[in-house]
Amino acid sequence: MLDSRTIELTETPPLAAAPLRGESKKGLGIAAMAQLLTLPGQIVSVLVLVVPLLVALYMSFTDWSPTRGSLFNAQFVGFENYSELLIWDTRFLYAVIRTVLISAACLSLEFFFGLGLAVLFLREFRGKSILFSAFLTPMMILPVVVGYTFWMLFQSNGPINQIIELLVGPRGAPEWFRSAPFAIVAVVLTEVWHWTPLFFLILLSGLNSVPENPVRAAVILGASPRQVFWRVVLPMLKPVIIVAFVIRSMEIIKLFDEVFMLTRGGPGSATETISLYIYKLAFNDFQLAYGAAAAFIVLLGSLLLIHLLLKPVRNQLLEVSR
Amino acid sequence: MMHTKKLSFPLALLMAAALVLVLFPVFWIVMTAIKPPTDWNASPAIWAPSHPTLINFRTLFDPDAIREYGVGGVSQSATKSVFGSIFASVMATALSVLVGLFSAIGISRYGNGSRATPLIILSGRMFPPAAIAVPFVIIFSNVGLTDSYTGLIAIYVAVTLPFSTWMLKSFVDDVPREIEEAAMIDGRSRLMAHLTVTIPLIRGGLFATTMFIFILNWSEFMFALVLSYSNVSTIPVQLAKYVTATAGTLYGVQAALAVLAIVPLVIVGYAIQSHLARGMTFGAIKQ
Repeated sequence: MLDSRTIELTETPPLAAAPLRGESKKGLGIAAMAQLLTLPGQIVSVLVLVVPLLVALYMSFTDWSPTRGSLFNAQFVGFENYSELLIWDTRFLYAVIRTVLISAACLSLEFFFGLGLAVLFLREFRGKSILFSAFLTPMMILPVVVGYTFWMLFQSNGPINQIIELLVGPRGAPEWFRSAPFAIVAVVLTEVWHWTPLFFLILLSGLNSVPENPVRAAVILGASPRQVFWRVVLPMLKPVIIVAFVIRSMEIIKLFDEVFMLTRGGPGSATETISLYIYKLAFNDFQLAYGAAAAFIVLLGSLLLIHLLLKPVRNQLLEVSR
Repeated sequence: MMHTKKLSFPLALLMAAALVLVLFPVFWIVMTAIKPPTDWNASPAIWAPSHPTLINFRTLFDPDAIREYGVGGVSQSATKSVFGSIFASVMATALSVLVGLFSAIGISRYGNGSRATPLIILSGRMFPPAAIAVPFVIIFSNVGLTDSYTGLIAIYVAVTLPFSTWMLKSFVDDVPREIEEAAMIDGRSRLMAHLTVTIPLIRGGLFATTMFIFILNWSEFMFALVLSYSNVSTIPVQLAKYVTATAGTLYGVQAALAVLAIVPLVIVGYAIQSHLARGMTFGAIKQ
């Protein structure tokens, strides 16, 4: 996995510079060095990622559960798990739709707030570096702790409801974890609080590296600050924005820790994400084979999604990562 | 960017509001951690306790301590999970960075850098962890690694390896090749040139990467949850367990454990804040 030479899918020429051409006559040659250095990483990846994935893939075509004993006793059922999931399992379908909707809501809010904050940080003010650190704090906190903290904040007698009651009267405060829409809002707000700093950080570093000349040229040509931002700066920021969205989509599609602490998927299954559903399938109901099949469907779906997201900016993106 | 305008008053107000929103949950968890049991779940909620106490922190390591407040039935000590978290995170971080360092030099200096590689590594990150955990549970039970630190550390190394490799690679890429080549002309072997030249030159990056991987390992929850029973425990697992404790919800004790879990991360996080973006984006964003 880590050895790039095994993956020759590129339509473009290799872009890393030629291997190091030292004059060294001692020790190993270039090819041997490449092997030696990447070997430990490859061993770890194969043993701890590839093998389990293959086991999971095999399992997903069987009806295995722990009561059957050894994995070799499993009955091969072909695509039965997959067809069951895709056609009949509405709980899975809803979990997928829910995860996608929660992700879309979270990512747009995180982007909006993150960009706003990053733009504020382009200005000069006192205490900028301390405030910068303060705004990064949420993303350093463990997801489990974030979930637990917001679980306390959203209690019916918690501080959030106290403030709501102060603003709209004693009957305005909701029972956050008893009603489906409010529970989802609670999950989204938690996630937004936790990860807006990442957008802020990425977008600010992007904004800071926007070259000055095009901006200066636009100003000289008479563009208003607003035009400069939307027409000059933002297009140049596009690859960075895509990086932020790709990284965050990958993580939020797996959303588990915070929801586990906040709602355990409840009320009912109102906040049950894909990861939570697979977790319950595998570790509460012991339908491990079925859960594995669900995981592969999700993997294929998210690969497709990321591919589509990356397509328009693939080359630009790889320029960024150089 | 060339904006060096001052922050106007309305914008400063906006920033202040944002700051309050960002810091309020942190304030709340710290306050809860120093509340005596009577204040834990008071209605209406108490923002700052009138009699702050450290009883919650003491209860973490001595479950009977809280009896003096009339709360009984706390059976679990968090001692094991604290040491478990430290042991698993430190070991896994050291191994992940060590293996990642070799891979990083290998890919940066000797790989032919296929364009697809970063994308393939990224795809590995997208597989839901619940589903990776399933085969692990089965394989580990067959080789006797269930509920062992060895097993947990192996998984942590594997899942953080893409991060350590690509973050370190981005630092190695910044080192000019000429320096290594000069060392080779001086008669050093390739390996020695890397050990004596490359690695010392990226020590700042090495430190940042180590801290970043530590944050990831310290925060991990799901694998620890499904692969630990009685031998192994980590802070996140213990934190989730306090919710289900039969004595009811131990708000204050949980909050104390949460604060204990946050402190090292915030220290480490501030120390490497300028590299956080690089770590999170697999080295794609350099700052």
